[in-house]
Amino acid sequence: MKPRPPTMRGKRRYILARILPYGMAADQKQVYFSVIEAATSLFGDAAVGLAQPAVVFCEGGYVVVRCRRGAEKDIAAALATVNAIADERAALRTVAVSGTIRALRRRIKPIRPLSAAGDVKFGETYFTVYRYPRQKVDLVEKGIKHQKSLFFTEADLEER
Amino acid sequence: MKITDACVHPYPAGDSTLARMTIEAAELGFDSIVVIGDAGDRHPGIEVLRGAVICAASQKEVIKQVRSPAVRGADVVFVNAGDTSFNRAVVAVKEVHAIKNIHATRKNAFDHVAARTAAERGVAVDISMASIVHLRGTKRQRALQQYADILSLHRRYGFPLTISSDARSILGQRSVRDIRGLCALFGMTGAEVSEALSSFGRITEPHQPVRVVE
Repeated sequence: MKPRPPTMRGKRRYILARILPYGMAADQKQVYFSVIEAATSLFGDAAVGLAQPAVVFCEGGYVVVRCRRGAEKDIAAALATVNAIADERAALRTVAVSGTIRALRRRIKPIRPLSAAGDVKFGETYFTVYRYPRQKVDLVEKGIKHQKSLFFTEADLEER
Repeated sequence: MKITDACVHPYPAGDSTLARMTIEAAELGFDSIVVIGDAGDRHPGIEVLRGAVICAASQKEVIKQVRSPAVRGADVVFVNAGDTSFNRAVVAVKEVHAIKNIHATRKNAFDHVAARTAAERGVAVDISMASIVHLRGTKRQRALQQYADILSLHRRYGFPLTISSDARSILGQRSVRDIRGLCALFGMTGAEVSEALSSFGRITEPHQPVRVVE
């Protein structure tokens, strides 16, 4: 099929959002379902259908969402209402909006744990410790599914 | 003009410690936050105010709780909204700074009489982002309706508004940019959002006529 000439194509906008918590391995499809659910419940089928949101890629703790030009503010508001991805608590924080994916890639600063994960015990529960820049410490309960997460700092961890 | 998140609930009420929430708030563009519970020590880069929330059924109870040592030590005193007569009475209490949970009340619970008194006394109405972020369906629709109603009263009478994330976790905190987008859902302009986020100085230290002491 012959592609449409560029002047006939619809204009797009791309939204870069950071996925929280940091260590979450989010699947692109699951992120898409969460975004669509949040947008549809906020604006309804008609508005979301016209906005044409889609997840372009999802890697390194960031997600790029595509939408029709003019709908980026609505989609960014919908991203702020995302509470969970694949039944795991999560949040999407809008970082930037641009007309090209290339411009957004320049804004991506991968966030990786500073050191190897350790263990800590709070009461009867064991947690895995992940340290991140700016003294941030994420504690993830040891288990298979639906683990509890706690968000501390280095100083908080030393106090306990 | 400090940009303030009017209410957060750190660990143990939530899953994130106060220190972590202050780091996140600074990254999200806030200059200060109001913490329900213990505000702890000083936190670099961000001002932490201590808040107290009063849940009461009558004005008498509110006055009784306001005089308790826990509430007297707070920088900001919130009262959970109730029915029309309760709201009218509670905005007249001198020690109360803001009314919270307005989205959970009945329609018109905060009416023009309460709005006028709130404007005279400088009592704010808090707009919680948690109700927009976490609720779905009819509950969120009702919250948006309530906020739109509060906004129209604010434009008419000029009482202050505050905006809070009501976050119990860093996952519940939202950036100033996100808050602008969420508030636009019920018709709040960018200028009104900026004013609401920076209204805390006006609430805790209201403009008063100059008094001659001597």
